[in-house]
Amino acid sequence: MIEQLRQRLQALQKTAGIADVASALPLGIAVIDDALGGGLARGALHEIAASSETHLAAATGFALGLVSSCRLLWLAEDMALIESGAPYGPGLDAFGLAPERLLTVSAARPRDLLWAMEETLRCRTIGAVIGEWRHGEIDMVALRRLSLAAAESGALALLLRAAPAGEASTAATRWIVGAAPNARFAAQLVRNRRGPTGSWILEWSDNDERFLLPTHAQPVAAPAPDRSHRKVA
Amino acid sequence: MLSLWLPRLPIDRIERLREVSSPLAVYGKRSNAELIVALDEAAERLGLHTGLALAQARAMHPHLHAIEEDAEANAALLEKIADWCLRYTPLVACDAPDGLLLDIGGCAHLYGGEEALVADLGERIARAGFAYNIAIAGTIGAAWAAAHFGEPARYACGEQRTLLAPLPLSALRLPADTVAALARVGLKRIGDIIDLPRAPLAARFGTELLRQLDRALGAEHEPLNPRLPVTPYVAEQRFPEPIAREEDVLAVIARLAARLQFALERRGDGARRLELTLFRTDGEVRRIAAGCSHPLRDPAQIRALFVERLTALSDEFDPGFGFDMARLSVLVAEPAPPEQIGIGGGEDDAEVARLVDRLSARLGTRRVRRLIAQDSHSPEIAAAAVPAQTAPADPGWPAFRHFRAYADLAPRPLRLLTRPEPIEAMAEVPDGPPLRFRWRRALHEVIAAEGPERIEGAWWSEHGGPARDYFRVEDKSGLRFWLFRSGLYRDLAQGAAAPTWFLHGTFA
Repeated sequence: MIEQLRQRLQALQKTAGIADVASALPLGIAVIDDALGGGLARGALHEIAASSETHLAAATGFALGLVSSCRLLWLAEDMALIESGAPYGPGLDAFGLAPERLLTVSAARPRDLLWAMEETLRCRTIGAVIGEWRHGEIDMVALRRLSLAAAESGALALLLRAAPAGEASTAATRWIVGAAPNARFAAQLVRNRRGPTGSWILEWSDNDERFLLPTHAQPVAAPAPDRSHRKVA
Repeated sequence: MLSLWLPRLPIDRIERLREVSSPLAVYGKRSNAELIVALDEAAERLGLHTGLALAQARAMHPHLHAIEEDAEANAALLEKIADWCLRYTPLVACDAPDGLLLDIGGCAHLYGGEEALVADLGERIARAGFAYNIAIAGTIGAAWAAAHFGEPARYACGEQRTLLAPLPLSALRLPADTVAALARVGLKRIGDIIDLPRAPLAARFGTELLRQLDRALGAEHEPLNPRLPVTPYVAEQRFPEPIAREEDVLAVIARLAARLQFALERRGDGARRLELTLFRTDGEVRRIAAGCSHPLRDPAQIRALFVERLTALSDEFDPGFGFDMARLSVLVAEPAPPEQIGIGGGEDDAEVARLVDRLSARLGTRRVRRLIAQDSHSPEIAAAAVPAQTAPADPGWPAFRHFRAYADLAPRPLRLLTRPEPIEAMAEVPDGPPLRFRWRRALHEVIAAEGPERIEGAWWSEHGGPARDYFRVEDKSGLRFWLFRSGLYRDLAQGAAAPTWFLHGTFA
């Protein structure tokens, strides 16, 4: 009896491990997923910077869109919430992200924010952590710690920055995102450990809860994308 | 019941702080006259007594040093002493202005009996520089009377009658005019009234007199109002050698938590809120509370809660020369099912709950939040962020989605500013969307706008403000904002203020 349970436990742990660590979260856009080697790598740190502070809402939307299927924790400093506003439940809901899945943390100091981010990454049931950072450079050690914590648990760590950063980073990808006319996103992949960089204009579909390339660039009858991964909440 | 009286509290407080010349009196305003409220020994020897007018005392003894009382500081000091007395029992009540009541039932044996406890308490109080009187008796009233008027001693339960009889009537804690009225008919001692017929006494001097008498004798129960809520589960430990290191404190927490675990399991409870009380050797008391989002019993998890709390305190923690006693109490307990075994859906939630507890303990409960929907048209109230530890089980979003679909609500912004920010806006027509606007010094040319969506002000509330017309606008570079005009042009005719524009949120 106990032996059986033990075997079952091992089997469960194995499958959980494979699903969590070795996989990537596809965007559902072939050209981007190919560049990323299958999608946004889980268990890694990704940086998403607004092209300038006024474009922070677009960068926020981009980050939320990427991880809309995950259980999510969002961290920001008090100052960031005052400057740029706090995540707004009805807005998230309209965007296609169930507010029930979100926890928010406000930190008084940058140190607290990094600590909480790392602590959250250790929790295996939180799929993605978004930390908003507006203090210019982040210390290399802190970045490495975040990368390691993400690698250990298989969670996605997203660093949302109010402006592009220049420093070296352990991040797997680095994006610069701004708003584009007609409610679109201008997303530039400026650094990619697994492949080429690129630049795309994207559209968010509230109904499908995923990004699309604007319709004129798509074939009339696109094959239905494989969205089986989205069942995992 | 133990009554501790500090008859010279105001004097002792001042003398602890600085050198003062003797004889010393502390005076305070009582019904518009300056009366003496406390005296040091030298002043007492001069024949002065409390209640004397300050002017009279000064006339008698010109060299008397007089200081005005600081009632607030005295009260604060009494609170501190009360905190310190928690080392004897969690049931400590303040007996303002200069006494404390301790319910030592069931805990005196920890000190080797009531006499040993009184000796310990007296020695420590004296060492701290306070004059004191201590009495133990079966009732609050008897203990109080003995401490204030009788021989400081210990009286067994049931001895109230012999103890009280020789004491003056004011020992019953009666209003001064009742005591004066009794004195006028020759009743001065408690023994004078114990055996008098009750009905005429009550008719003449009020029922309060009999009530106080019954309470002191134990015929009527007098409840103690402890300063701190009574805790259902308590475990404590004294250390022969003071401990100061954080890891030692944590080890003690784990040990105390293990003791609580038995009691919690037996009654099927779990702890939702815990408090650690640390008693420093110099009399300072540290109280550290920690909460959790689901009932806890596991000592390791309870210890983990305090790891974060202690880290968050860091400098404030300050062990001084060490702690000689620690107590862990469960402030709030809740029924908890037996631990679930196996891997189910509940396990995920439990893990998130543990994360919430760790973050809340370190950063503060109010910093870790969940979003809930509320039934309101006002955008600020419609959604709120509440502490995740205490968030309701139903956050209200399913109901909100029904409402949104039913009312065909326009999209809401992804980020909402804490407070709408005023903007300078130019509109083409009075009630239309703006053509351009300036926000935080940057000019935005509007190329597309949707709206208005009118949200009426809370007309039933004074602070509701005027109606708002909301617009979703997009500027040249694709930035999208949620703006509103507060007030309507049509109301201008009725003398309303001119409409003003605000930016309230940003869309992705």
